[in-house]
Amino acid sequence: MTPPTPRTPVTADEWSVLADLTGMLTRLLRDEYGLDDVEIGMATTFNRDLELESIDLVTLAGLLQERYGERVNFAEFLADMEFDEIIGLTVGRLVEYVVTSLQAAEAS
Amino acid sequence: MTMVDTGSVRLHVQRIGPRQGRPATATVVLVHGLLTDSLASYYFTVAPAFAAAGLDVVMYDLRGHGRSGRPAGGYTLDDNIDDLEALLDRLAVTGPVHLVGNSYGGTVAFGYAARHPGRAASVSLVESEPATAAWAVKLGGILDRVVNQLAHNEPDAIAWITAHRGRNTARLARGAARLARETSLGRDIPASRVLTEGQLAAVRCPVLGLYGADSDLAALAPWLRSVLPDCRTVVIPGHEHSVLVEASGTVGGHILSLVEEAGRVAAEAAG
Repeated sequence: MTPPTPRTPVTADEWSVLADLTGMLTRLLRDEYGLDDVEIGMATTFNRDLELESIDLVTLAGLLQERYGERVNFAEFLADMEFDEIIGLTVGRLVEYVVTSLQAAEAS
Repeated sequence: MTMVDTGSVRLHVQRIGPRQGRPATATVVLVHGLLTDSLASYYFTVAPAFAAAGLDVVMYDLRGHGRSGRPAGGYTLDDNIDDLEALLDRLAVTGPVHLVGNSYGGTVAFGYAARHPGRAASVSLVESEPATAAWAVKLGGILDRVVNQLAHNEPDAIAWITAHRGRNTARLARGAARLARETSLGRDIPASRVLTEGQLAAVRCPVLGLYGADSDLAALAPWLRSVLPDCRTVVIPGHEHSVLVEASGTVGGHILSLVEEAGRVAAEAAG
C-alpha cells in the first residue's frame, strides 16, 4: 500500500482548516492521553504518528461536527475507505476532504 | 460525546439518524465485541449507510470498553443485557428494535431478544452465536489465554505480537490486557447464565447469521437454522472473524434487507 502523498497546501483555506484540526487533535490527545506538545502537520498520520485508536476517531468526528455541522461527514468519509487507507490516513488528507466538503456546501 | 448513566455505569452512546431531520423508519441498535472492540467498528462502517437508509442508529460502548465507564465488576452476559435494557430505557426507545451484534455483541443482542421477545423486531448476528453451554466453555478458554498469557506476562506477549502481528495488533492487545487486569470480565463471562434450547426457540423474530467462510464460527450456521424458528444464514467467502469491518458493504446490505423485510412483514401484520 502506498500512503497518500501529503500535498503542499496552496490556499489560505487549507491552512485555517489545518489550524482547526490541530486544535481538535491537541485537545483530544491532552484529554485522552495527557499528552502535550505533540507536533501536528499535513504529513502526520493518525495511526502511526499519533497512535490514535478507532474510538479516538469517533471523538474527532464529534469535534468536526461541532465545528462544521452537517457540511462535513467524517464517518462517511472513512466508511468509503479501505482499511489500509484508514491506517495510512494523514492530517493533510483530512484537511483536503474538509476543504472540499466546505466548498461543496458553499456552492450548493 | 453523549454519556448515558444507567444507574450502574456511564455508557458512551452515539446516535445518528436520517439526514435533514427526516423521520426514521425504525431503530437499529448495534452492539460491538469484546476486549479490543468499540462502537467505532460500526461508526465508520455500516452506521452511515443505515442512517442514509432512513434508520435511527444507536451505537454504544459496552461497559469497560471504548469511552464507557469501567467498573471493576459486573461483566456477566446478564449484566451486559441489563446495561442494554437500561440504556434503551434512558433513551426512551420503547418500540421493538432491530438488534445487530458483532461477535460477543451478538450474544448480548440475542440475549436481549430472548429476555424480551416482544421488543426485538429482528436480530442480526455477525460472527456470533447465542449463549449456550458450549459458548461459555469456548469463551472461557479464550479469556483464560488473554488473562494468563497476555495480562500476566505482558512484556513478552506484546513483544511476540509486535513481531508477528504488527504494531496495531500489539496496541489493541495492550488495551485488552489492561481491561482483563482491571476488571472481573475474564471470570464473569464464562460464568454467565446460558440459554436452553427452549429459550433459544422462543426468539421468534427473524434472525440473520452472517459468517466469514474462513472463520470457525461458520460451522454454526446449520445448527443456528435448526434451533431457531425464523433464521437464515449467509457465509461470506474470503473472510474470517473481522468480516464486519473487512466486508462492511456486504454485511450492511444483508442486514438492511432483513430490517426492511421485517418492517414490511410487521406492517402487513398490523394491517
